[in-house]
Amino acid sequence: MSGSETGSDGGALGALAARLLDASVLERIGIGIASTALALLIGLVIAAAAGYDSIRFANQLLVGAFGSERAIARTLRSTTIFVMTGVAVAVAFRAGVFNIGVQGQFVVGGFSTVVSIVWLGAFVPSGAVGGIVLMLFGTAVGVVAGGLYGALPGVMKAYGDANEIITTIMLNFIATGFVGWLVAGPFGAPEATATRTRRLPESVGLPQVVFGDPNLSIVGILLMLGVVALIAVIMTRTRFGYDMVTSGYQDTAATYSGVDAKRMVISTMALSGMVAGLTGALFVIMIQGYYTDPSGIGNYGFDAIAVSLLAANNPVGVLPAGLLFGGLESAGSHVQINSDIPVQLIDGIVGLVVLFVAAPELFRMIAARTGLGGDAE
Amino acid sequence: MSGSEYLDAARLRLGGITLVVLAALAAVLALGFDVDLSRLITWGFVTRSLEMATPIALAAIGGLYAEKSGVFNIGLEGFMIIGAFTTAGTMFALGGTSPTQGHVWAAILVAVAVTTLLTVIFAVLLIRYKADQIVAGLAVWFVGLGFAPFAAALIWGSRSSPGLTNINELALGQSPLVFLTIVLVGVAWVFLYRTRYGYWIQAAGENPEALDTAGVDVNRVRYATVVFSGAMAGLGGAVLLAHAGNFVGTGSTMVDGRGWIAIVAYLFGNYNPVGAAAAALLFGALDMLNVQFQTVGIEVSARLVNLLPYVAVLVVLTAYGKTRIPAVVGEPYETEE
Repeated sequence: MSGSETGSDGGALGALAARLLDASVLERIGIGIASTALALLIGLVIAAAAGYDSIRFANQLLVGAFGSERAIARTLRSTTIFVMTGVAVAVAFRAGVFNIGVQGQFVVGGFSTVVSIVWLGAFVPSGAVGGIVLMLFGTAVGVVAGGLYGALPGVMKAYGDANEIITTIMLNFIATGFVGWLVAGPFGAPEATATRTRRLPESVGLPQVVFGDPNLSIVGILLMLGVVALIAVIMTRTRFGYDMVTSGYQDTAATYSGVDAKRMVISTMALSGMVAGLTGALFVIMIQGYYTDPSGIGNYGFDAIAVSLLAANNPVGVLPAGLLFGGLESAGSHVQINSDIPVQLIDGIVGLVVLFVAAPELFRMIAARTGLGGDAE
Repeated sequence: MSGSEYLDAARLRLGGITLVVLAALAAVLALGFDVDLSRLITWGFVTRSLEMATPIALAAIGGLYAEKSGVFNIGLEGFMIIGAFTTAGTMFALGGTSPTQGHVWAAILVAVAVTTLLTVIFAVLLIRYKADQIVAGLAVWFVGLGFAPFAAALIWGSRSSPGLTNINELALGQSPLVFLTIVLVGVAWVFLYRTRYGYWIQAAGENPEALDTAGVDVNRVRYATVVFSGAMAGLGGAVLLAHAGNFVGTGSTMVDGRGWIAIVAYLFGNYNPVGAAAAALLFGALDMLNVQFQTVGIEVSARLVNLLPYVAVLVVLTAYGKTRIPAVVGEPYETEE
């Protein structure tokens, strides 16, 4: 063991660091696929150990994700949300800011959208034009609310030196608890038996073209692609994006080149929160139609961290990673109905994916040992 | 040295501010709302606060040892979930829905053993394979959030367990685990500041090259502290369960952010086990205020009062974020040959 170690570590430390930073795109894709495959494999072994038929489970995962037109629509619906929240995470992580609070920003954005549309709905005539006005207004409110909720931990970090990992996690708990209280109390629908807000007006809804699924619209998919493109352009083609990514890699270099570190942290968090808020708005307009207790809304903002990491925080890479998670989520709802395997197994598998993505050296070692890596030194 | 003196002054000032705010709050409640303060702060409140504080304090001590040695273990929350679940599962396996006190103690030991084993894997990923400490720590949380409710569903057919049993009180109405925690806090302090091994831990986080030169294997020290941190978080989860008496696996599980609060507790306590325990007690008391409010008749939604610890964490971190973080936290150590 020590023999091979001295062999591969013979080079200078700097070379290793450089290799970590400049890991080629191909290698990243390889690590992503390997992490996912290993996590799924462990999931299947656990399913078998728990007394289930793992081949059947694997088959159900596939059928549940892509097996029918309905399954595909369900997969795409979740994919739009995972990709957009994933982009929100990627923006921040690339800038070296660990925004774990996308879930909270997503909840605050979505809830604000519902409340603002319901409020304005009383003054706007029903009809297609009224609906569009309401949607644009509600989305704008959602984006601003998400952005502000994201900027808050940015301000705390910039001026109070508060670690953003912990503040954003706390803000997630606060968003869930506070919005949950608002939905149950002040903003609860009086006529509803379940805990939820009033429904959005009939005129609010996205057109159903191409897909038959009532909760999936081509507009949502286009919005997702637009956000990916916009963020990718901002990050690679603008001064702001350049400064942001430089701050992520080497903050002292960024400071020397005249970047205001405090402002950079705040604007990064605000941008990340705005994307999360936009996702929240799309979620309520396209899928839910009202707001419920956020503790039962799904962990999109948390899984988004896994999506972004799997994509090496690259906004374009988030597309396939988001599709994987959309597929897993869709498969989860299939498994829940058609199998007695507890669906939480899939959440555990997601956790394993993240764990393996965090340790690329593990796969480099495996690749080197098995000779699959080829030229890995 | 002047830096740490400055920080001590800041800490005292913050402590003073906290006391003033609490006194003002008490005055407002007593005068404005006509609340009888003696009914608000009762022996039961002290007991509940201590019970709530112990899991946080235990995880915080583990976390501060790891971070002192240069490894940021943000997986505490995940290890607490695994510890709580393992305790419930073992109790159920040994004694069904009516386990004895012996079963409770056995379950706590099993939970510590299981989390210790899992942390060994985690430590290997972090130290041997230089995994990103932040991402891997988050992954532990996700793994706990997924597999604990999964296993619960396998055993009980639901993400939560049926009622099992609580640990009996030992003296003064307190559980033996509270006393155990107090002892552990003291031992952790002595070990860290008064023994050679404690100095090794501090050196591993401040100046690993010097420690290496002195002939101590830096990574072995770090393995020890990371495994210890996982074991302590597992114990924290076990204690949480032994006090609660049943496992809850819905939402963010019964641990519900306490592992994260533990991290803040040791930051607030400036990596000092006694300070971390004091901070844990503050958060534990805030967590239990809603029960007090109800008994006194203050009409506030429990859900809102439950947010108080999280808000307190935000205020504490922002007012007082500049902790003296060990010099090389997060950096893998490479021996130079």
